[in-house]
Amino acid sequence: MLETILNRLLLSIPVLLGVLILGFVLVQVAPGDPARVLAGPAAPPEIVAQIRERMGLDDPMVVQFMRYMGRLMQGDLGRSLISNREVVVELGAAIGPTLELMLACLIWSIPAGISLGTLAAVWRGSLVDRAIMAFSVAGVSLPIFFICLVLIQLVGVKWQLLPFIGRGGPLWTVDGLRHIALPALSLGLIFIGPVARMTRSSVLEVLRLDHVRTARAKGLTERAVIVRHGLRNALIPVITLIGLQAGYLLGGAVVTETIFSYPGIGRLAVGAILSSDFPLTQGAILVLALAFILVNLVVDVLYALLDPRVQKK
Amino acid sequence: MSTTAEIDTAALAPRRRAWWQLLLADRAAALGLLILALIVLGAALAPLIAPHNPYASSRAVMLPPVWEARGTWTHILGTDGQGRDMLSRILYGTRTTLIIGVVAVLVGGIFGSLLGLLSAFYKRIDPYVMRLVDMMLSFPAILLGLALVAVFGPGVVPVIVALAIATIPDCARIARSIAVSVMEQEFIEAGRAVGLSDRALFTRYLMRNCVSSIMIFISLRFGQVILIGAALSFLGLGARPPAAELGMMAAQGRDFLLFAPHIAVIPSVAIFVIVLCANIVGDALRDVLDPRLRG
Repeated sequence: MLETILNRLLLSIPVLLGVLILGFVLVQVAPGDPARVLAGPAAPPEIVAQIRERMGLDDPMVVQFMRYMGRLMQGDLGRSLISNREVVVELGAAIGPTLELMLACLIWSIPAGISLGTLAAVWRGSLVDRAIMAFSVAGVSLPIFFICLVLIQLVGVKWQLLPFIGRGGPLWTVDGLRHIALPALSLGLIFIGPVARMTRSSVLEVLRLDHVRTARAKGLTERAVIVRHGLRNALIPVITLIGLQAGYLLGGAVVTETIFSYPGIGRLAVGAILSSDFPLTQGAILVLALAFILVNLVVDVLYALLDPRVQKK
Repeated sequence: MSTTAEIDTAALAPRRRAWWQLLLADRAAALGLLILALIVLGAALAPLIAPHNPYASSRAVMLPPVWEARGTWTHILGTDGQGRDMLSRILYGTRTTLIIGVVAVLVGGIFGSLLGLLSAFYKRIDPYVMRLVDMMLSFPAILLGLALVAVFGPGVVPVIVALAIATIPDCARIARSIAVSVMEQEFIEAGRAVGLSDRALFTRYLMRNCVSSIMIFISLRFGQVILIGAALSFLGLGARPPAAELGMMAAQGRDFLLFAPHIAVIPSVAIFVIVLCANIVGDALRDVLDPRLRG
């Protein structure tokens, strides 16, 4: 077990390094000379040269990269060009809301997707099955921004049931819940489809296996057969799917946060890119990439824990 | 008179229907294919059939579509916030959206499948290629898109490049798994035994037997790529005004949702229809051609 985890950890090191290099390149190729920006447009060339020297911009790339890594280790990502606040502070304030949004989305969409997928598998070929599958194909085909706009239009504007701008506070407060409801609903709607599909095919596969037939033969109720012997084994691929779809979910979150003006990392990244705020962009992309690597790591380890066959490979 | 001559062997053999007949027998898939063909045709012929100049604004702003009370036949789908004809913009926008998706998926698909096929063919490089693919997989398309746009600035090209790169690892994995099973077949060994060169073996024996399965995967992927591309344009990171692109058009309609919802709704529905048809056709193709890919 430990070996599996260690192996997996080792595998993430080159990825991590790649992400760091990308972040470094991002700042390097950014247009404009940082020394010139700092000195101001009217400064004489000698002053600019002096600042260049002091910032170490004339050093070889490798030295600069090492210095950048050193700063990164100390949690120094520079300052935002727009707000002049430290990038780390800005990012820190945005991580919590994004995690809350993810939690609020997954907490309803995964159970919903698994239930729908199981129902479709149990009543295979029936009208229910076809309706659920049609719903899930439609779900993966709808642009997320359209779902957001329709929900805003109906629930927010027409019926005035829920707020649709910003964040109301932490998740455990009433206002926080009210504000997160629509973004979480939108994001969840695009996630139900893949989960339902995967659950359906996985349950169908498991229900064909011998141990399920044995369970039926010994007279268990259909419900017990499906829940205890079918679903439990069928959930393993579903967990992998959640890992595989993390990127899909992330893309959805970026759009959702932007539309609902929800102060998370996704909106921060889009805003930073659009305003050419390179230090903030770099920081946001680094955090998103790290989070993604972490999710994949956790899912792989979880997979190995749930399915002992994986460890032997 | 010999009896064997009279037996028509073709009539006795169970008639195997060609894959496209099976596909067209699936009513949903046939309909999806038809709609998709019409959409592609409309987008390709946009300069010829568009009733108005898609970039020319007029005073008739936010005109509703023809089926609403104030709609007119001059602007069948109404006009947008700047008085530009929606139908013409949808035709041109579909063109941009389709080009982004098709180029990205083809470029990424070709590089990805070559990588996968080579990896299965030359077992020496397999571990290295797969390690590379694993690394690429941990970098989702949207993040790649954000990073490239951050470096090169918003535009169609960085979006296409990001989507193409993001297609490579998935495609390489699928291509490899298909190719590995083909490589185990006897005809590969037979080809080797008669002294075929690696190149002939690769192109004539391996590639030809993998191409259809890979095409299915690419068609299944197409919808997702269109969605991500449209989302990036919606965020202002892809196509730039005044160009018409469906995601960007939906974003422009955001401000008019209250008075003229059609400006955002029509492009969104267009994206939905394209992706839905692509997904339905892709699913049906897979079921007909290669049920192994199911899952």
